[in-house]
Amino acid sequence: MEDTAVQPEAAIARPRSGLGKRVWRNKWIYLMILPGLIYFIIFKYVPMFGLVIAFEDYKPFKGVFGSDWVGLDHFRRLFTQPDFWNILANTLILFGMNLVFYFPVPILLALMLNEVRVSFFKRFFQTLVYLPHFMSWVIIVSISYVMLTMDGGVINELLESLGMAKINFLLSPEWFRPTYIIQVIWREAGWGTIIYLAAIASVDPQLYEAARMDGAGRFRQIWHITLPAIRSVIIVLLILKIGDVLELGFEHVYLLLNSMNRDVAEIIDTYVYTAGLRQMQFSYSSAVGLFKSVIGLILVMAANKLSKKFGEEGIY
Amino acid sequence: MKKSSFSAALCTVMSAAVLLAACSGGGNKEASETPSADSGASASSSPAAASETPKDAKPTEITIMLPLNTSEAPPDTIKNELEKLTNTKLNYQFFPADTYEEKLNTAFATGSLPQVTYLKNSTTFLQMRSAIKDGQFWEIGPYMSEFPNLSKLKPDILDNTKVDGKLYSLYIGRPLARQGMIYRKDWADKLGIQPPKNVDELFAMAKAFTEQDPDGNGQKDTIGFADRNELVYGAFKTVSAWFGTPNYWGEQEGQLKPEFMFQNYIDTMDYFKKLRDGGYINQDFAATSKTDAVNLFTSGKAGIYVGGSMQDIDSLNKDLVKNVPDAVLDAESMIAGPDGKVQQWEIPGYNNVVLFPKSAIKDEAELKSILAFFDKMMTPEVANLMYWGIEGTHYTVVNGQAKVSDNKELVEREVKPFKDSVIGEAETNGMFQPLNELPGRIHVEQLIIENEKAGVKDPTAALDSATYAEKGVELQQLITDATYKYIYGQLDKAGFQKAIDNWRKQGGDKMIEEFNASYKK
Repeated sequence: MEDTAVQPEAAIARPRSGLGKRVWRNKWIYLMILPGLIYFIIFKYVPMFGLVIAFEDYKPFKGVFGSDWVGLDHFRRLFTQPDFWNILANTLILFGMNLVFYFPVPILLALMLNEVRVSFFKRFFQTLVYLPHFMSWVIIVSISYVMLTMDGGVINELLESLGMAKINFLLSPEWFRPTYIIQVIWREAGWGTIIYLAAIASVDPQLYEAARMDGAGRFRQIWHITLPAIRSVIIVLLILKIGDVLELGFEHVYLLLNSMNRDVAEIIDTYVYTAGLRQMQFSYSSAVGLFKSVIGLILVMAANKLSKKFGEEGIY
Repeated sequence: MKKSSFSAALCTVMSAAVLLAACSGGGNKEASETPSADSGASASSSPAAASETPKDAKPTEITIMLPLNTSEAPPDTIKNELEKLTNTKLNYQFFPADTYEEKLNTAFATGSLPQVTYLKNSTTFLQMRSAIKDGQFWEIGPYMSEFPNLSKLKPDILDNTKVDGKLYSLYIGRPLARQGMIYRKDWADKLGIQPPKNVDELFAMAKAFTEQDPDGNGQKDTIGFADRNELVYGAFKTVSAWFGTPNYWGEQEGQLKPEFMFQNYIDTMDYFKKLRDGGYINQDFAATSKTDAVNLFTSGKAGIYVGGSMQDIDSLNKDLVKNVPDAVLDAESMIAGPDGKVQQWEIPGYNNVVLFPKSAIKDEAELKSILAFFDKMMTPEVANLMYWGIEGTHYTVVNGQAKVSDNKELVEREVKPFKDSVIGEAETNGMFQPLNELPGRIHVEQLIIENEKAGVKDPTAALDSATYAEKGVELQQLITDATYKYIYGQLDKAGFQKAIDNWRKQGGDKMIEEFNASYKK
């Protein structure tokens, strides 16, 4: 495709025929970019201007221009907040767990689904694992509550009938993280397979045939053909995931959060909500949000650099 | 090849996102603009209205913004009647209650609040205080005496809504003290237990409900209390009031102090610790949502419910008899503490308030014409229309009380949105009292009157503290956490004291100082 497009252009184009002309020639393509561009300008770039309130003592009736300038005061308040390091640590630990425990699951699941040869069953299992993604966190958390509660929850009843002591899953700090990560896998793993399945589908079947001829079993095929083929997709998704480092799902954590597990469960998002928005501290919450984004940006750049170092393409 | 398919997928996702954004944006705009288009068209219909009230030729046009607690905006049935009765042209802007605060904040931030602005609740009112002090809203106190009906509003409650001693708002009234316990009377009767008269008898009831198999199925599968993760509107605050704890803040040796510095608070924590240790309350109550706590009760597993309002007995009963047909509910709130005294905590007597932004109301004359509308709203005729709907369609009058039509969906759709905006209460605006048929509910209404006699006010309701406004919620979290940890046995008295010290260090001391300074004024 690209080759044929380049050839005639090189032939016809006079040297430096002007940017305008070239744009005009491809006007339809540029037109197609337009909606995306407008979207980003309106919904992503314009709101960025609002970030200045992180450096102001923002008062709604005074407006962004009228509010007093306070410099880095809000950041100072954040960093000197006694629980700050704890909150940051919780955020990073949950993120690490996401990376270690959740991230590989969709890949494994996609590989497994790919091995299901009967098309009907494949579709059936696929639909089955997609479903939880369409349930809201409220529903996922409520279902977990019903299963885990001390007062007649299925799991505790089971433990009791096996002669073991009941476990207070919902209130013990040590059970918060496992509960969190299992719920994430439960809801998102199936949905996450979509992109991997698409990548696997594009692998050249001849490669498998050749491997079979050479006597490779199923696991060998997966290891030497499928996985290398989807490696770049995995890397891209990993970098994107790292970009969301501190997006752990406010709603999800907030629903699981309670007074007993706050020491391990409070993350930056929930803190912004309680300390910031519930008390109309717009400036302070913006400062916290900005801080969060900066960490995300640094991590993405680092990950991208690293992936390039290992010979992968990265995302930009 | 692979890469291009990936980017194609990306394109699809992005354009879908654009479409979605465009749709939702458009949707909002439509919602907010429809009413104004409406009011434009109405100009032609005004002569008809004018002919009915020859005195005032042109109906007053008023734009009103208020939270909507139903799923969709109501049809104009009530609004049309209302306009006829009050000679106005009303432009109602309903916004969903869930996101009302956001709407309020953005409208406020952009200076586009309409002439009549309902807030969401007393919390949003507290947050507006600094804007009120900055002179963003009309002070209505001086005009009140010109309006005979508005001046009937209860002075105590008006005082609670004053800012720096000046009145800026009209209030939507609620009974001062609606809380108490709702319990399974059939269980109590079966076990031969009398309604509890003090906290010890209440404890004994919870114990008996847990241990003596009140549902008679031969299994130990019942508990006493069904509670939730909420110290204020769950059981804790109500019980703590019975123990004699002050309402948020109390006076000791001439100084205001927060409730958790009182011994009664500690006693209440010990009481809940004992309840939990004995298994007489759901073990996970610190992680239980309101829905789950209510389910525990309405499924017939728990026997005592202490929620925010005893008036919930109607809905609890409705759901409970579906599961347990012969269940009987009753309520009690006259429960004495260890010293034999009965005490209830009071809310400030209002649910919400109305403010009049200066940005939308130009002059005194306009303000007065709007207040005149609210003055008419406080006549029985208009109040009944807004609260109960149209007689014969939405309700009937039985023995001078309003009986809601059986067509609950119709009432919900057409009347409920207006019902939530009625100023004052039945005593002041003369509207019908509800006809209660459930014996438990009739008892509740008597108890609410009793409650008021034993009510304790929050002394800081009308006081100011800059520290409280800045980080009161955040600081309260420290105490809430410590309270639960104490009840669950993870903190001892010294540990709880440490949490209090922490609270004081991080701004609590300043709060005490500021509230006391404001109190002495």
